[in-house]
Amino acid sequence: MRLEVKDLRKSYGSVAVLKGVDLQVEAGKVLAFLGANGAGKSTLLNCISGAQDADKGDILAGGASLRDATPRQVQNLGVAIIYQHFQVFEGLTVAENIFLGHEIKRGGRVDRRAQNGKARELLARLGVSGINPRAELGTLGVGERKVVEIARALRLKPRFLILDEPTASLSDKEAKALHAVIRQAVAKDGIGVIYVTHFLDEIHKVADQVTILRDGRILWTRPVEEVTIADMTDAISPDALLKGIERPGFTPSGPAVLKMDGLSTGFVGPVSAELRAGEVLGIYGLMGAGRTELLECLSGAAPKSSGRIELDGQDVSFAAPREALSQGVALVASDRKEQSLFASFAAVENLLVPHFGRSPMPRLLRDFRREGREFERAARRLNIQPPNPRLQGQRFSGGNAQKIMVGRWLVEGTGLKLLLLDEPTQGVDIGARHELYEALADVKRKGTAVAVASSDATEICLLADKVLVLGRGRQVALIDNPQDEEMLIELAHRAEHSAQQDPAAAEPEAKEMELTQ
Amino acid sequence: MTDTGLTRAAAAADEKAERDWFEIAVAAALPAAIALLALFFYVKAPVFMTANNWIAISVQVSALMTISIPFAMLLMAGKIDLSVGSTLALCGVVAGLSFEPLGITGAVLLTLAVGTGAGLINGVLVSSIGMSPIIVTLGTLTLIRGLAQWLAPNPIFGFPEEFLVIGYERIFGLPVLTWIMLAVIALGAAVMALLPIGPQIVALGVNRRAAFLVGLRVKAIGVGLYAATGFFVAVAALMSISRINSAPAGTLGIGVELSVLTAVLLGGIPFTGGKGSVLRVVLGVWLLGMLSNGLILMNVPTELSLMTTGIVLVVAAGLDVLRARRG
Repeated sequence: MRLEVKDLRKSYGSVAVLKGVDLQVEAGKVLAFLGANGAGKSTLLNCISGAQDADKGDILAGGASLRDATPRQVQNLGVAIIYQHFQVFEGLTVAENIFLGHEIKRGGRVDRRAQNGKARELLARLGVSGINPRAELGTLGVGERKVVEIARALRLKPRFLILDEPTASLSDKEAKALHAVIRQAVAKDGIGVIYVTHFLDEIHKVADQVTILRDGRILWTRPVEEVTIADMTDAISPDALLKGIERPGFTPSGPAVLKMDGLSTGFVGPVSAELRAGEVLGIYGLMGAGRTELLECLSGAAPKSSGRIELDGQDVSFAAPREALSQGVALVASDRKEQSLFASFAAVENLLVPHFGRSPMPRLLRDFRREGREFERAARRLNIQPPNPRLQGQRFSGGNAQKIMVGRWLVEGTGLKLLLLDEPTQGVDIGARHELYEALADVKRKGTAVAVASSDATEICLLADKVLVLGRGRQVALIDNPQDEEMLIELAHRAEHSAQQDPAAAEPEAKEMELTQ
Repeated sequence: MTDTGLTRAAAAADEKAERDWFEIAVAAALPAAIALLALFFYVKAPVFMTANNWIAISVQVSALMTISIPFAMLLMAGKIDLSVGSTLALCGVVAGLSFEPLGITGAVLLTLAVGTGAGLINGVLVSSIGMSPIIVTLGTLTLIRGLAQWLAPNPIFGFPEEFLVIGYERIFGLPVLTWIMLAVIALGAAVMALLPIGPQIVALGVNRRAAFLVGLRVKAIGVGLYAATGFFVAVAALMSISRINSAPAGTLGIGVELSVLTAVLLGGIPFTGGKGSVLRVVLGVWLLGMLSNGLILMNVPTELSLMTTGIVLVVAAGLDVLRARRG
């Protein structure tokens, strides 16, 4: 039994994304699937899942063609897909989510008791006992939601399981548990797995084979024992090695640009830290530690509940991002698709949308030549590929779209003082990551203060001059010149752990702060 | 090997050609439909294809066009105003009642203020407070219609001659109403294409959260669009009552929201907003106008004509789905 992709091709308009992909996954094996952003991974997955129709070629699952099948038919043929973006419903319980569309019925009515029992069983098989099947999904953390999605996929006993960056939002512990579950499902049920990931260090833990997709074609497929991480890095993006990056050499000086003094927002705080011109503050913590909430407060997207924010020595309080921007504070939000990209906008408009009608762009009439020049400059500086100003935002790969998002605030003459970045390299491949880091070094050299929130300790150590470690909303530590990733990870985990033991501290709920505006 | 390479290149070229062809077909569908329909009416009723008839169509659609342009911009921003028909009636009634006490200038200014005010109320409820656009404007649709009928239980007629001039006078060979319509089109097209606010309006319809985070005036733009829609509904009301020389509160503007929605969907603006072009909306309105004019020339009964409009709305919604699938 195998899942086969044969000479698959797909173009969007004039852009060919898949240029003849051949791929085989055997039952009982895990195939790690790697590729830079823009290599065509998402498109391939969409073609397999039935979300999109391929132009040419075929996909076979155990001999049956999936070409032109609807997502439902694909599912019935035994191919389950778990997307990177969550496909769960907050208003339903865990068990209801797991059995959605395939409810267990008795006498024509949904048998909740049976569903809850079965859900508990499925979760137990995943080695998870902390999730109550009756709990509403909205009360769960992001990591737990991923587990629910996986339980839902396994419920149908698929023959093939495709996982699109399943660990992108998981903590190390959850990722480890997930790897164990996948190995178990493969060993016991003999399912074949395609495991898409950006994290090269998990490949040896979970996969049997590695395949590299580059520029719409399969570069090679090899047994995992024969491949080193360096081989994979080279193959994905040969000329961009992360290890070549050094922390930008620049000595921060002068008075503090940003000063947080006992700042609290929602469940986060109190936080106190200073940031000087040209300095990079890393904000590190596990999922639900409050990184996003802190950045949203600084950017005016969420209100502060107490404490002070000082910008250049002035006490400030922003009611909206617009106010923060007028003072030179900008945010690149974390979830690109939901929070920063205008999918149908041309690249040039995506780049300049915050600046239309305000300095440095003309106030009254649009100047299209000027807009074109600004895009050209950004494309050159960040190596945006393809450098086509008219291409829609959604047609760019994750990494290149992210370059446009960051490029927004690198437009000259906007008076940027403080740049806030939330998970700036999430879903961004190594090559684009390198280019984003270089752009940040540039920003730093120009004397802009930068705050980067990340769940990636390596990234924090690479970029930050000092790190603020958060745990369950509390400031755990403020460390100058971080070098030791292990220490950061340990600090964050310990904070999480002690908060769980202390009932008074465990009270704040890590709920997402959904703003009406 | 070279052979496969060549075949692949050829295949890629084919695919590209196929895609482009689809895009061209979508872009050409509306003008083509207009041309075919015109040809059909010309064959059935030759008088259709005369300059005078086309000028008559322009007068017939002038009020609809004047509302459709700002309505289209509102829809691009992801909002909707179903109260335009009732607001048209209210504005007509207010103008009719105030000619005598206030004089023409006063009456016109008051009417424009009333229309803008109605738009502002919708805008504040929807954009500032964040209520559902469909529900709010469905509410104001009923409320404003009631208000208009309460103000004027009986049709008002007999307006000052100096005002009625708008309805029949011509300048440089074209009716004043046509000129007003052309001015509104030019204004709408210029705002969307040349001013910085253009992409900001569309941005609201594409991704409201992102628009907020990059610092756009999300609330103010929404309120402004509703107010502008109200203003141009008032202009359309003045155009309508100057042509028919009466303001019947019970029937004026009935069903206008549906005609406008049909025209705008035909013009290629998705119901969910986020994109669209003013000039294509003009074609959408024109298609509707031609349809009703041609059916009248062919002596088709009004009921059938009404049914045709309903069918066109459903077809327009169908096209919306088709575009979304392929796009």
